[in-house]
Amino acid sequence: MFNGLSLEQAPPISVVLRFFITLPIFGIVLALLMIAAPDELLTLGHWYSLGAIHLLFLGIVSMGMIGALFQMQSVLGGAPIQNPHRHSLIIHALLSVGITALVGAFVWNIPVLFMVASIALGGALIYFATIMLPLLFGTLSHDTLKGMRFSLLSLFLTATLGVIMAVSYGSGVISDHHITVRTVHYSFGLMGWVAALIIYVAFQVVEMFYVTTSYSDWCKTNVKRIIGSMLAFKIVGLVGNLPFVWVFDTVVAVLLTGFVVTTLKRLKTRKRRVGDVSIWFWFAGLGLLMIAIITYGAFLVLGLSSLVSVALIAFALFALAILLGMMGKIVPFLVWFHLNAAGFMETPIMSTIISTKRLKLTFWFFITTALLALMAPWYPWLLRGAGIVALGLFTVIATNLIMATRLYAHVLKTGTKFSFDIP
Amino acid sequence: MILEFMRDDHRVCDELFVTAENALSDKKIDEAKKLYEEFYLLTNHHFDMEEKQLFITFEKRTGMMGGPTQMMRYEHQQLRAQMEAMLKALRDDKYDDFFGIGESFMIMLQQHNMKEEQMLYPMIDRALSGDGELMVETLKEMPKGNPL
Repeated sequence: MFNGLSLEQAPPISVVLRFFITLPIFGIVLALLMIAAPDELLTLGHWYSLGAIHLLFLGIVSMGMIGALFQMQSVLGGAPIQNPHRHSLIIHALLSVGITALVGAFVWNIPVLFMVASIALGGALIYFATIMLPLLFGTLSHDTLKGMRFSLLSLFLTATLGVIMAVSYGSGVISDHHITVRTVHYSFGLMGWVAALIIYVAFQVVEMFYVTTSYSDWCKTNVKRIIGSMLAFKIVGLVGNLPFVWVFDTVVAVLLTGFVVTTLKRLKTRKRRVGDVSIWFWFAGLGLLMIAIITYGAFLVLGLSSLVSVALIAFALFALAILLGMMGKIVPFLVWFHLNAAGFMETPIMSTIISTKRLKLTFWFFITTALLALMAPWYPWLLRGAGIVALGLFTVIATNLIMATRLYAHVLKTGTKFSFDIP
Repeated sequence: MILEFMRDDHRVCDELFVTAENALSDKKIDEAKKLYEEFYLLTNHHFDMEEKQLFITFEKRTGMMGGPTQMMRYEHQQLRAQMEAMLKALRDDKYDDFFGIGESFMIMLQQHNMKEEQMLYPMIDRALSGDGELMVETLKEMPKGNPL
């Protein structure tokens, strides 16, 4: 259990980077889809729309989050993943094949691809669960870890239901409970996996990196309980076909609003004031989450489908904003950390690994994409514009990652190590 | 007992560091140098409290010689090297270098603190049981280093 205390036990840089580098590839595919078929993407339940949603939440957001979890596990969980290189290679390969097959199945409506996706994503799920869950349920216990456990259990439930649905699409046998299964699938995916993980990461990261006041112990203890119980009640409500299921969504919306307000307050009164693009991403992300909450609330009252589209787009962009903000810190830190730990004299400082200028460019591409995409439900042609800008966004992200990797490889190959040998 | 005392000391060090960073951002060079030197002394004192008292007592009580305390000592070495590099950057008026090193230092320091607060200090508290208060008194009495 003590291995996690050592910085030497951090996973090799390739373990994390392989997930991160795949992210802009799926991002570019998504951008091309936005350019090619904006009207179809904005039609809820359309196959293209489902393809785009899975590209975004699985190919980009989850791929990035799983990569980050490989890094964070040893710090938060107290025990590193053994053989991380092999495990990450297998999980990454299964995820990549599964996501590609799933998106292909949605876009081209090819049943056999749903089967390929089921096998690959189901395999990734089982493999990831077998290596991650025993580590997370060890002797160590604290609020962030409990939050991560809840998020991962939600991911496994989301993925299991996703695999069940993919099998039914592939076989053409759609059960009577399909709508319920689909609702539980996306509810746990969006709230239990994505939102809960970001909230628990925020509890840890916001306070530490920006030197803010702590979140209250009540928040840290109860967020997972409230989200978990509301999701459980929602399942009961859906299965029992009970009225007022929207009440459970409303409670979660109030909780998320509380998270936005408390986090904004902390960021605005942070003690660390040095310029940092990741803060911009946090502000943007929280603003987008607020837009998602308001538009979803308006949808519950007014029932306009365009509002639910805006809510979904805003929520996806919220998750993307936080992910991109954190990647802008994690990637340069990892390059610096691994070179520094290896003793290279030429180890570059973080701001030369990914320059502030390129991080700012990433942010402005992101904001432009977000603004255009949020207006697209009313002006669908804007989604094409959002797609063009997103192409730029993911190209810049890919460039940042490739240049950071090349710099790492260059120092590794040509750098000089500190030597304490006495001649 | 130990957890609360050492966690509070982490926060004091963090605040001193960001105050120095903020002062440098505002071009208050002399103030930044003074604050950073204060941070440098206090953080080294924090590491000394751990290495010269806390870890040794923990190791004697538990018999864990090459475990978590050894890992923390190794991380202290890395953090000390970065603190030296930042001190040099400040003295040589290389402020961009100071901020650049400060960025990675902050992430590394926070990861280190997180591990101590979530894993090691609770273990030390358990190992010391009733002697926690006495240990805190001993730590408070440890002399701080001389001004630079």
